Parts: sequence; structure tokens; C-alpha cells
Amino acid sequence: MNEGKPISEMAYHAPSSVDDAGISGERLATRAAKPLQWFLKLLPGIALLLFWQWASGRLIKEIYVSKPTAVAHRLFELFASGEIYPHLWTTGQELVLGYVIGVAGGVIGGYALGRSPRLARIFGPYVMAFYGVPKIALAPLFIIWFGIGMGSKIALASIMVFFLVFYNVFAGVRSVDRELVNLTLVMGANQRQLTYHVFLPAAAPFVMLGMRLAIPYSVIGVIVGEFTSSAQGLGLFIHEASSTYDPAGVFAGIAILVAFVTIANFLAGRLERRLLRWRSLSGAGPIDI
Amino acid sequence: MSDCVLAFDGIGQDFPSPGQRSTIRVLDGISFEVGRGKFVAVIGPSGCGKSTLLQMAAGLLVPTRGAVRHRGRKVMSINTEVGFVPQQAQLFPWKTLAQNVELPLLLRGVAADERTKRVASALGSVGLKGFEKHLPSQLSGGMQKRGSIARTLVYWPDIILMDEPFGALDAQTRMVMQNDLQKLSLEAGATVVFVTHDITEAVLLADHVVVLSQRPSRLLANVPIELPRPRNMFEPFRNPGFEAAYDAVWTEFRSQIDIGHVH
Repeated sequence: MNEGKPISEMAYHAPSSVDDAGISGERLATRAAKPLQWFLKLLPGIALLLFWQWASGRLIKEIYVSKPTAVAHRLFELFASGEIYPHLWTTGQELVLGYVIGVAGGVIGGYALGRSPRLARIFGPYVMAFYGVPKIALAPLFIIWFGIGMGSKIALASIMVFFLVFYNVFAGVRSVDRELVNLTLVMGANQRQLTYHVFLPAAAPFVMLGMRLAIPYSVIGVIVGEFTSSAQGLGLFIHEASSTYDPAGVFAGIAILVAFVTIANFLAGRLERRLLRWRSLSGAGPIDI
Repeated sequence: MSDCVLAFDGIGQDFPSPGQRSTIRVLDGISFEVGRGKFVAVIGPSGCGKSTLLQMAAGLLVPTRGAVRHRGRKVMSINTEVGFVPQQAQLFPWKTLAQNVELPLLLRGVAADERTKRVASALGSVGLKGFEKHLPSQLSGGMQKRGSIARTLVYWPDIILMDEPFGALDAQTRMVMQNDLQKLSLEAGATVVFVTHDITEAVLLADHVVVLSQRPSRLLANVPIELPRPRNMFEPFRNPGFEAAYDAVWTEFRSQIDIGHVH
């Protein structure tokens, strides 16, 4: 029915020409495809849970791996009794503060070194050297410096987040087209205006990428810190559960952490779509995995 | 020239050659003047440093020898009194067309209602009315180029520097753009320095054609083109006197092209 139309024209007009019968048929198909897609997405997860439930006690002893129903029951108990709330509150604060401090430091540091080749020459090797240090090895040291409270965990999370954001912002600022910068200067921009109108928007996709990559790293930082030494927190809870042979407790703790990361990812995605609307309109699309 | 706006005075430029201690001499003793309201085209073989001359006039590069004078003042730092139209449109991809054109006014502290008026008039003069809210990626190459020109016209620069602005466009779009540029610059009485490697384009648009040699580049000739305006951009050979004018430039330029050699 599209005979006689050049292919390119069909491609260009496909989304707008709704009155065309062939096209509306296609749209129906995409509408039906959405739930199907969701189903396909959920299928492996459901299969894994079913297999876990079935295998537990049959292939592997339940004391090692627990089972989904037991974990769900444990989660319900933890929230119903309120036992988990102090841990949740502590870890939540550590995550948010560690993440925010790390991102702020990374953006400021990456921007400064990206803009100034001289600063980059002086400090570049030091940043590289500290980047090479396994941050987890610093955990005991941070406990000595900042105590067993929240300070040491915030420090560990923020230093892990810092480097990821730092390198992304640094690369982003460096990648800005020199000609565009020169043009803006000729148009009459001062340094502050250049930052606001050129460097920040150009670096924004890189900042967002760094921020998204850093989310799981902030969790690793906090949990490792809590494993090492702490009075409260999800890390401590998981640690205690594992040392008392309570696999359901371990998995319940992990499930909560996964929920944390998922929510944070969702929020970051929302922020990205808002800030980088011009990119999705340009066809580049968000960096959704 | 008594009403000289821009003067290139004995310009020489050396660039460090990559991986060696020596330098490459790119420009050598180039002098010419651009009068008020004049359209000067600069042509030369590729790699001869035509674009470098524009960068100097914009204050983005200080010449090794000699000086560029803008209304008698030596250009030593960024020259915000010129407008620069680069080879690629270089619109900001995160700003809409209207925001792109508005930016120079915003940077210069022009009041909001004045900005709106001037953006509308600049977009109107390049024929982009109705595309204000479009992002650059949603515009064709020719439209992006028009946007780039509007962004320069909007702040009424003293001189417009154009660096092979139509080089990347297809032949038809290019003729239309040349025609519109002639109309715009005639209406505005604009002073334009236009770098190109296309002799026809240079002869059709310019009052003077400055011909540069191969590297190290010297000034071969400064040919006045006295064809009546407006000129027919679509049928170059219909312009009375075009052939003679083209010949005058080609005679100078011919020696610089090794026919059969790849540059």
C-alpha cells in the first residue's frame, strides 16, 4: 500500500501520518509489544527465583542459600518489627552524604583541571597515583582517622565516587571544541559566561555518565566501611547475619541495597532526561543500560 | 584607501612543525587593506594560511611578524568588534535556534526586549522565521549555516569574517546562499572578509580578490572586480564583464595549481 512512495519519505513521515491505515496498524502492534516486552524482561528474573526456590533444599542445603520465600518473610519481619529502620537510616545518610560530597569534589576538581592545562600538568600525576590506590585498603585507616561512626563511611564512599566523576568531567571539559570556545569569545563572552554557556552544557553528558557510574561505587564504599567496623548500618546487619548463619538475613540486606541502587538509578535517569533533553531530541538518547 | 577599516600590515607567520625543532613559514609579508563597506575575498591554494589571516583579525592569534590594524588599533587580544562565521555552522547543540542567535546579545548585556526584537529581525533577514524553537540538529545544513550567519549579523559587527562558509554545502544550496549573502551585505553595507578556494565564488561576491600563493604564502595580486551589482549568482557567465574579471584572477592563480597533482 506504500507503493510509489520513496522509502526515505516513508521513514521520515512514519510517526506523523496517523491517518494512513498501514501506519495505524503498526502503532497497534507497538502498543501490544509493550506488555510483551515487560514480560520478556521479567521472565529471566522469575525463572531464576523459581529455580532458586526449587533447588534450595534439593540441590543445595537451605542453610547455605536460603530461599526466596524465606527471604521475603524475613524482609517482612524486619520492617514489621522496625528492627531494620535504624540500620536503614544510618546507611541511607552515609550513602547520600558520601555520594554528594564525592560528586561535588569530582565536578569541581575535574572542571578545574580540565580548564587549566597548567593545573592538569601539576596535579595530574598525583590524581593518577591516588586513583591507583585500592580504596578498600584505606578503610581501616579511615576508621582510625574518622572513628567508627558515619564519618569513616562517608569518607570511603566519597573517595570512590570522586575519582569516577573526576575523570568523566575532566574528559568532558577537555573534549569541548576549541573553535566553539573561540567563537564564543569573539561574540563577547567573559570567563564566567564561557563556563555557563559553553563548558558546563558541553560537559553535562559526561557529568551525568560519571554520576550514574558512581552510584554502585558509593554503596560499595559504605558497605565495606561498615563491614570493617561500625555500630549501626546495613553493612553491619549483613555482616552479623552471615556470622550467625542466617542466609535469609544476608539476602534480605542485599535486597534492600539493590532497591537503594535501583531507586537512585531511576532518579538519576529522570535528572538526565531533564538536563539533556536536547540530546534525546538530537537522536543521541540517554545512556540507559 | 582613506576609509580603511582593517589593514594587514606585513603579516608573517611561522608554525612549529610537528615532531621537529624547526618551524614552517606559512605566511610571508602579506599586506592589504579592507575599505569600509567593501567585500574582500581571499583565495589561495589549500594550506596556504588564508584562515590564519582571519584568526589574526579576530585576535585569536598574534602574527609572528607584522600586525593587523582594526581602525588604526593594533589587534592584540580577542577582537569582539568582528563577527566570525566558521566553516562549520558551529551552533550550540543545546540551545534552540533563537537562543543561539540571542547569545551574543546576552553576552553583551543587551536588554531583553531589544534582544527579542533583534533576534526576530536577524532570523527574518536570513529566512528562518518560524524555526525559532528548533534545535540545530533538527535543521538542514543550509539552515544551520543561515543560523550561524544570523548569529553574527545580530550584533552588528564592524567587520564580518567568513572562513569558507559555503564550502560544505551542496551546489544548489550554495548558490542560493551566495545570492542571499550578496543581498544581505548590500542592504547592510557590511564590510566582509571572505576566505574561499573557489574563484567563481570570489569573483561573484567580491569588490576585491586577494590572491595568495602556495606556502610560504605571499600576496600575488589584489584584483579589483568592477562588475555591476546585484550580480547574477546562478548564471555567472551572464554577468557582463564576468569573463574578463575571472581571467584576471585566474591568470594570477593558475601558477599556483599543479594540474594533475594531489594536494
